[in-house]
Amino acid sequence: MSETLFTRMKDLPSTHLLGAGTPMCAGCGGLSALHEIYDVLGPKTVFVNAAGCMTLLSVYPFTPFRGSWLYTSMASAPAGAQGVRDALDILVEQERMPEEEDLEVVVLTGDGSAYGMGLSSTSSAIERGLDFLYICYDNEGYGNTGHQASGATPHAAKTSTSAGPRGFAGYKKDLFSIWAAHEPAYVATVIGSEPLDLARKVEKAKSLTGPRLIIALAPCPTGWEYEPRESIDIGRLAVKTGVWPLKEYESGTVTHTIVPSPRLPVAEYLQRQGRFAHLFQPARNDALLAALQARVDAYWDQV
Amino acid sequence: MRTASRVLGSAFFESGFEVQDAPRYGAERRGAPTFAYVRASRATIHERGIIGHPDLVIVADESLPAVPAAAVMQGVTARTVVLIHSREDAAVWKQRLNLDGLVITLPTSEANAETPFVGSVSAGAAARLVGVVSREALLSAVRAEIAPFGELALRESERHVLEAYESMAAHAGVVVEGDEARALDYARPEWIRVPFEEARISAPAIHAAATSVQVKTGAWRTMRPVVHESLCKKCWWICSTFCPDSAIEVTAENRPQIDYDHCKGCMICVAICPSHAIEAARETEQRSEGPHDA
Amino acid sequence: MTRQLLTGNGAAAWGARLARVDYVPAFPITPQTEIIETLADWFDSGAMPGKLVTLESEHSMITAAGAAAATGVRVFTATSSQGLLYGMEMIYAVAGWRAPFVMVNVSRGLGTPTTLESDHTDVLAARDSGFLQIHCATCQEVLDTILMGYRLAEDTRTRLPVIVNLDGFYLSFTREPVEIPESRAVSEFLPPYDPQNVRFRASAPTSQGVAVLGGSPYSYFRYEAHLAALRGVEVYDEVASEFEAAFGRRHDAVEAYRCEDADIVFVMMGSFSTKAKAAVDELRRAEQKVGLVRIRLLRPFPVEALRRAVAGVGGIAVIDQNLSMGRGGVLHTEIASALYGEQDAPRMLLSFIGGLGGRDISPEELFEIAAETRKAVDSGRAPPTRLLYTAGELREIRKLQAIAEVERREPEQKS
Repeated sequence: MSETLFTRMKDLPSTHLLGAGTPMCAGCGGLSALHEIYDVLGPKTVFVNAAGCMTLLSVYPFTPFRGSWLYTSMASAPAGAQGVRDALDILVEQERMPEEEDLEVVVLTGDGSAYGMGLSSTSSAIERGLDFLYICYDNEGYGNTGHQASGATPHAAKTSTSAGPRGFAGYKKDLFSIWAAHEPAYVATVIGSEPLDLARKVEKAKSLTGPRLIIALAPCPTGWEYEPRESIDIGRLAVKTGVWPLKEYESGTVTHTIVPSPRLPVAEYLQRQGRFAHLFQPARNDALLAALQARVDAYWDQV
Repeated sequence: MRTASRVLGSAFFESGFEVQDAPRYGAERRGAPTFAYVRASRATIHERGIIGHPDLVIVADESLPAVPAAAVMQGVTARTVVLIHSREDAAVWKQRLNLDGLVITLPTSEANAETPFVGSVSAGAAARLVGVVSREALLSAVRAEIAPFGELALRESERHVLEAYESMAAHAGVVVEGDEARALDYARPEWIRVPFEEARISAPAIHAAATSVQVKTGAWRTMRPVVHESLCKKCWWICSTFCPDSAIEVTAENRPQIDYDHCKGCMICVAICPSHAIEAARETEQRSEGPHDA
Repeated sequence: MTRQLLTGNGAAAWGARLARVDYVPAFPITPQTEIIETLADWFDSGAMPGKLVTLESEHSMITAAGAAAATGVRVFTATSSQGLLYGMEMIYAVAGWRAPFVMVNVSRGLGTPTTLESDHTDVLAARDSGFLQIHCATCQEVLDTILMGYRLAEDTRTRLPVIVNLDGFYLSFTREPVEIPESRAVSEFLPPYDPQNVRFRASAPTSQGVAVLGGSPYSYFRYEAHLAALRGVEVYDEVASEFEAAFGRRHDAVEAYRCEDADIVFVMMGSFSTKAKAAVDELRRAEQKVGLVRIRLLRPFPVEALRRAVAGVGGIAVIDQNLSMGRGGVLHTEIASALYGEQDAPRMLLSFIGGLGGRDISPEELFEIAAETRKAVDSGRAPPTRLLYTAGELREIRKLQAIAEVERREPEQKS
């Protein structure tokens, strides 16, 4: 394993860069991941944002960032990142701006854009070899508009457009594999409830150049229907049940950084969330639960 | 508050009134202040949007009048009736908020402070205060609005609504219809010709870092986390790392310091502290300036 | 001084090169492709420092253009019709960022039905966005207007992006003599871009394009951009005077051709207005007092200049090469609203729609338009809006409809 600043929990910072006072929901799992990521990335960054919950981080005149920010649109944040990166490169190359003024360009997007509308611009940015970081906070639905089903919604989940007895009929898109198929510099999954794993991955991403993409599962009290205080516990269960594999892609190889062993039954994760309540009330839907368990088992069987 | 406006709106409608009700969203966030409004009239309602001169204002969260951005008392005049869910006396509020008109309180207790029925209770109380909504109309409205939430929620709401309705008996009908804006002698708007300003001033850009700290999201709290020093093992990083809002810092002596100006009261720190050294305590009515540590 | 034959697209590429643009985000669309191919070649060969990048859509292209301008470099891009509309969300968005750049639109009719040929309905869709808009009539104007466009966009009184429109095919692929100015003279006229505080650098954290809560702040930001657009009238006139002093060519916001004693006036935009000039000359030879008013600057709309140009005229024939479904010609509505209430405004305002999808407007049609306008002035009655269309054309349509079996034949019975 390569050199890292983050070997033990005590290596994580005790003061935090991202400003308080944002309008994200109390207990937001996305904010949980973002503030940990920002500590590693630092303020020499310009965050290029796609429409989603976190667009409201910067509402005039308030911003929590100690670095810079540009809001673009839902579909084209990677194109905005392209414009900023190219312009900064031109300014530095032509000595119109000192190198120490340069910034790392970071796309910040929700799953709604990343798994759907923004997929075209993301794919093209990777294809062009854009040197940028790409952070997706994934709360498995279109959160900012009231949690409708998105390309990231898992099978059987209740959302505001899939509130029937069997929940969402579709399946969560495998965005990690889609990105990895482009052979970018780096892809990783993280979660706020595993801060050491997250810090190491962000540190590694920071040290590389080229397209580097990270998905952070973002437990969402509002959309997943649970008390805000449970966000970290639910995140831990996502990992321990194997529902959210923690892995990275680099140079053609996928490595799992945390392998839950033994794996807890998926039901323990699902039970804590109101969006899966219909699997347990008024009666246990054993067939659907078994199907969900089987999918998770099948994934880990081939790891 | 959306429930409150819909129950009250439906109750008026059941009573034969024309109605217009709507919630008002700021950022649609769990924990952030929200409000709603209801207009009711015998004639067609043409007016629209926020209510400039309310006849009745209901405050469901007694911490909000202290929050300037919530603008709770906007448009309140001597003829406005103000109803506040609070453990304190109406007289205390009348003085604190410098109100000339009638102030009524709906007592809250430890048990019902975080009640999900605050909307129904508000609607029930309002229904009695306006004097023109019967018990039957009110119950019909509750059934229509709450039924989608299930049998249990419905029965509990009906109970709370009727309790609130009864509790306002002494003030029945005290809220009366106000006048519309009068064209004969209106207060002229202070129009100006907006001056041109160059883009370096007038572009929607923020030329500073971390201005968000000026937003006191601590006002969102109904519960506050309190660190018990004697139990804290000074692992020093866990609560600080897991607080999503950067509201816990750790001092040089490895003590966690909670920033109560910004803590939203999510209680994650309470839930994950391995030593159970952080306790969830009721937020006090009087918001103090500084942090509180046990 | 080099005077050579250049297409409109070639002139556009030269305009960008002389303006020393740093960055060209690109996406190909007929009839614009020659512009980006030429620039790509110049970047590759080192004739231009900087970079051209192909994005995967116009929506992304316009995002990249605005983002690079917001970072502090001089940006150029180009599109047309369907591409312009694909990126329309970002057209509005980047104008609001107040990051200036120049975008060439090679105008082309909008589907449905799909066409590759020119009219102005596409560029007029950007009318309300905050982009300033200038319409060129010759290939020379295309080159000149790009240089003027950067001065207009980057001026601290405006700080808004600018669309320079040239007609597809009639200018884009047509060669005309174009004077290519000396690089040094251009540098004097157009100094390097100074982004002021609209840029990104580590020492000055900035959040751009942020959201807003509440109608009052929103109104402020939107209206300030509008006030800046209005300042564009005075900025344009200054720039046009400086351009004339530097290069000897005058490009007024409103060109008045032989209007001094005219009682009938054509009003047009774009390259077909030179056809109207030819018609004016011919009508004058036939002793009719006809003139042409050409709108070059459409946004901001130069209300005063228009009023001066048509003061005392009896009848105006507005010839629109565009169509607002359910109302008619867009320029006609703009002219009417600019002249309403003016004391010596022309009494008769006629609306003609022609040139849609590249359809020609013949000299005879222009003579007939003048005749109809004179009839209206004499009778005091304006005819309804007329689409320029002939009996012969309709007969051709019938033939096409027959082939398309508009009246579907009964299926043959199988025995």
